[in-house]
Amino acid sequence: MSALVTAISLAQDPPAKETLAPIDYGAIMPMLIILGAACLGVLFEALLPRHQRWSAQVALTLLALVGAGVTMAFYIADAPADGTLTLAGAIAVDRPALFLWGTLLALALGAVLMIADRTVEPGGAFVAQAAIRPGTVQDREQRLGAHPDRRDGARFQMQTEVFPLTLFALGGMMVFCSANDLLTMFIALEVLSLPLYLMCGLARRRRLLSQEAAVKYFLLGAFASAFFLYGLALLYGYAGSVRLADIANAAAGSDRSDTLLFGGMALLIVGLLFKGSVGPFHAWTPDVYQGAPTPLTGFMAACTKVAAFGGILRVLSVGLESTQWEWRGIMWGVAIVSMIIGAVLGLTQTDIKRMIAYSSIAHAGFLLIGAIVLTPDGLSSTLFYLLAYGFTTVATFGVISLVRDADGEATHLSQWAGLAKRSPLVAGVFTFLLLALAGIPLTSGFIGKFVVFSAALSDGMAPLVVIALIASAVAAFFYLRVIVLMYFSEPAPDGPTVTVPGAFTTASITLGVVVTLLLGIVPAFALDWADAGTFALR
Amino acid sequence: MITLAQDVQNTMSTGESIAFWVLGPLALFGALGMIFARNAVHSALFLVLTMLSLGVTYMVQQAPFLGFVQIIVYTGAVMMLFLFVLMLVGKDSSDSVVEVLRGQRLAATILGVGLAALIVTAIARSLTEVTPVGLQGVEANGGHGNVENLGRSIFTDWLFAFELTSALLITAAVGAMVLGFVDRHTRGRKTQRELVEMRFRGEHDRPSPLPGPGVFATSTSVATPALLPDGSVAPESLSRLIDSVGAEDLDEEREAITGSAHGAEARALNPSTREGESS
Repeated sequence: MSALVTAISLAQDPPAKETLAPIDYGAIMPMLIILGAACLGVLFEALLPRHQRWSAQVALTLLALVGAGVTMAFYIADAPADGTLTLAGAIAVDRPALFLWGTLLALALGAVLMIADRTVEPGGAFVAQAAIRPGTVQDREQRLGAHPDRRDGARFQMQTEVFPLTLFALGGMMVFCSANDLLTMFIALEVLSLPLYLMCGLARRRRLLSQEAAVKYFLLGAFASAFFLYGLALLYGYAGSVRLADIANAAAGSDRSDTLLFGGMALLIVGLLFKGSVGPFHAWTPDVYQGAPTPLTGFMAACTKVAAFGGILRVLSVGLESTQWEWRGIMWGVAIVSMIIGAVLGLTQTDIKRMIAYSSIAHAGFLLIGAIVLTPDGLSSTLFYLLAYGFTTVATFGVISLVRDADGEATHLSQWAGLAKRSPLVAGVFTFLLLALAGIPLTSGFIGKFVVFSAALSDGMAPLVVIALIASAVAAFFYLRVIVLMYFSEPAPDGPTVTVPGAFTTASITLGVVVTLLLGIVPAFALDWADAGTFALR
Repeated sequence: MITLAQDVQNTMSTGESIAFWVLGPLALFGALGMIFARNAVHSALFLVLTMLSLGVTYMVQQAPFLGFVQIIVYTGAVMMLFLFVLMLVGKDSSDSVVEVLRGQRLAATILGVGLAALIVTAIARSLTEVTPVGLQGVEANGGHGNVENLGRSIFTDWLFAFELTSALLITAAVGAMVLGFVDRHTRGRKTQRELVEMRFRGEHDRPSPLPGPGVFATSTSVATPALLPDGSVAPESLSRLIDSVGAEDLDEEREAITGSAHGAEARALNPSTREGESS
């Protein structure tokens, strides 16, 4: 019957020619460059001989990152101040989105340099053939390097697919930050997550741990996506639209039943908080940070957090601002739980990567404080905090990848004892980064915490700020513990050595350290940039 | 026809009622069967029954696109994939049913029932105020059909989201290849030529294969050592795992072969009757 009705209506009323709304290609060009380069990278994998792939992929990836950055710089020069909506309202290119894009591109540059490095671990931190089972003879051969006289000429290889996959993840993150409706946001969430799940399992060493991390991340991530999707469906049921602005309008003035709104909101936010590894939704973080190859952990820790909080900021300030008095109390609780879990469980860790993971959970709590302050100050301080935290994290994981013994990275804390006597430079750099994570003055971490807490204070969140200060004091303890361990302990005789990194990792760590220092001493330029405008509320 | 479609907006027609009362219990039966079936394949087939019933229900509800997608994508593709996996894993293999966490099953049941009750009441409450809107007719969807409207919105309003899914598909395909494909050269399987070159380069212990026990032996047992042309025992032919025959036990045979005892036996060197060469 229905088909017949369709046929009748077709006969009565021939469909008019659809015209597409004009697309502002200038605004979305950075995103298109990244996604286009990712597709090109997949073609490189298919068409280039094996020995050319690494160099071609690295060149392409770096070119794409720089190209996207340059295009964005040109666009910012004459971008409309209150942002622009394009692609039929699916993408909002406004000042916060541009700031987040810039942050993501810069952080990805640092992370890609680390991923591309083949000097710290011969052949790179990624496995040569992921399909070979861990523990077999072939696996040992590919880890230790194939025979020098192998016909294909390359002793150490890596799975070069990680470069296009990284670009896909980055493209997904950029879309996620600027998505103006929940449907685009959901697809972007999947685009950014799927490559990360995959790359988590590609470590060259400790492959079983790495694969376990990938499976865990995938399963929990699938749950979180389901939460997000279910929340999206309920919000659609409430507002009759998935656009953030329509949801805001519906919530502001309607007598509809609020059950769908609150149910949808809760599920949606759970999905988002999972990605940001906040509070009680953090269960995946330590295992995944520990198991994933360290360069990828750096990428994931920095960029995913930026993207997730970019999404949280947009959803809260554009879509759910009018209902803030309903969700604010709950978000207070989530922020407190996150800070406490991060600070207290971080104290008990003996593995340095797990410790940084718990530190990131605590930082997620601090970021959430900034995110629920829905004033322009709150927005700009959270953006600044993301920038500062991202660079420090990338450099931290860069340094972690340098301290190695015969089995690969020496991540157990006891192995870091007396590191300052073996390598004063690395210990000094790591100390500086830990101080930045702890939020000591003259580092970016201090300025970040300062602006977030002052924005929260001016919005009447004094109790939350007090708790946050206590949590940062507790967290500072475990950073200081590592510093004390490095400087005031005797090195073990069979302890790890510090690898002298090649140009790529050196550049990446230097970038992170310099930005951490610059943002700590002269933060004004970045604060101005973060404060340039608010979300496009349309 | 069109007026009929409009009437449906508020009341249920007889046909629809009949369809619901046939399909609803069937879907419920399938869902319960899926949980309680012992055999994994039966369980999957029960789920197929539920999905088919739901698909038909959607079509009755004027949502032909959703109905067909339900049948083609879920029932046709996803469930068949499920069945393939079940068949590959082996339909008889079952998970361990030992509870790792104590009281896990009870807690899961209580929490699950609680969540279900919460969701059902919440949705039931929120739907009491809602006036149903038909998916077809002049008023709904601008007078166009459901499918047509879906096509329109996919290629205009949601064009970007639609295009972005291609990134997802590419990632999935690349990922499957990364995790599943092993290059022949790195699998560790070498060609015969490579093996020969390696032998003569000295990467193996010796260029030739180890001597079998049967070169000058008269026994088929692997425990019989090979004898070198001068009558001594070739040490490489002795198995490390099996107690070999003592060299003095072979004296008699050695004498027989070298001809120092009674005349050489032609049969011992005749290939057609020689046994144990390969053992």
